[in-house]
Amino acid sequence: MLSRWTIPVLLTLAAQRLLGLPGLPAWAADPLLPAVWIVAAALRSRDRPWPLAALLIGLAWDLVLEPVVGPGGIAWSAAALALNGLAGVVADRSPKAWAGFGVTAAVLVTLVHHLAVLPLGLGSSLSAAQVLRTAVFTGAWCGLVGLFFALELPQRWRTLRARRLR
Amino acid sequence: MVGASRSLVLRTLLLWAALETVAAWQVRTADGSPLVLSWLRALLEPVAWFAGRGGDLAGDVGRGAGDLRRVVVDNRQLRLELEALRARDLLLSEDLAAQRELRLLARDGALFSANAIAARCVFRDLSAGTMEVRTATEVQVRRDAPAVTAGGLVGRVVRSEGRRHWLQLITHQAAAAAVQTPDAEVQGLVLGGGGTLSVAYVPRQARLERETVLLSSGGDGIFPPGIPTAKVVRIRETSEPFLEIGAVPTADLQSVRVVLLLPEWSRRGG
Repeated sequence: MLSRWTIPVLLTLAAQRLLGLPGLPAWAADPLLPAVWIVAAALRSRDRPWPLAALLIGLAWDLVLEPVVGPGGIAWSAAALALNGLAGVVADRSPKAWAGFGVTAAVLVTLVHHLAVLPLGLGSSLSAAQVLRTAVFTGAWCGLVGLFFALELPQRWRTLRARRLR
Repeated sequence: MVGASRSLVLRTLLLWAALETVAAWQVRTADGSPLVLSWLRALLEPVAWFAGRGGDLAGDVGRGAGDLRRVVVDNRQLRLELEALRARDLLLSEDLAAQRELRLLARDGALFSANAIAARCVFRDLSAGTMEVRTATEVQVRRDAPAVTAGGLVGRVVRSEGRRHWLQLITHQAAAAAVQTPDAEVQGLVLGGGGTLSVAYVPRQARLERETVLLSSGGDGIFPPGIPTAKVVRIRETSEPFLEIGAVPTADLQSVRVVLLLPEWSRRGG
């Protein structure tokens, strides 16, 4: 599973880094694009994966975006654990659920990351507006992905191609 | 299931702690050392503080024990010095009292010859009626030489050896001294009776009252005349031709410190 998801995760991380490029709007870097992977793992995976994958995502996040490696692993694994627990009690798998899980993941990642960085004295700042923006954008991003799966666009595309080939 | 969940939580927490430590290792403090080292120092500082305080406490206790030992030793030494000072004070008081007695004796010294010898009482047994006195120098005092003090007659010398001289007090069972009233109208013989005296051979018709001080009359040939010897404390008439008279020595034999030995009185008086 890890090898199958490695490239897409790296792609989302690269996209996340691109969103922070100078010239783009300030809010462009607010959504947490890799959050969709832990949301998908919670909502679509039948088995409950141990948050090792989220841990690796977090470490990769640190490597790509953060000054130190470690707090990201804590934050992302904590969020993955929470989402796995939440998925056990929430039966909804609609795009709204994806969006809600995305909001939850964003809030958890942001808060836990802030808490993990706090003792390091790196001057991390956190505001409610920033948390809100991140949550909204990440929820929207995850909701879009959920909508993509709900509309079954890949299957429709494959069906459409099959008809044309006939 | 619960055990597995607990194990998962524990492993996750340990993993988070490891990650936080790794992150702290990457962060440098102002002096360039990893932040995790300052965390370690912060963790160990209370331990070191407590250890230091414990060491200080042990040192204080040790010093306190040493000080206590020194105080005990000093206290013991001070007690000894205090006892020595008290003893010296007693001796000085004794010497002072002896000097007073000697001055009183010197006031009456005109009664005696210049050969009177001052002696210090070092031991007395009132029940046995004996006393040991010591002179400043070795001197041979003749037997039966009278011994007097400021209060009156003490006794007579029964043995003399170097500086040590033994007296027979007038309260001795075998002691006797001729006495008379100050007006010389009544005469008698004071006899020792252990701690008290009795006056014998006083006729029934003699006019004698209690509290009368009897002086030595010199009639016994041992004691010089005119020395206060006994004070009458009890007079009783009996069927005998003489009064039964009880008396006490005028000299305070219990606290006498200095006596004058009078080896030459008879020559001067004679």
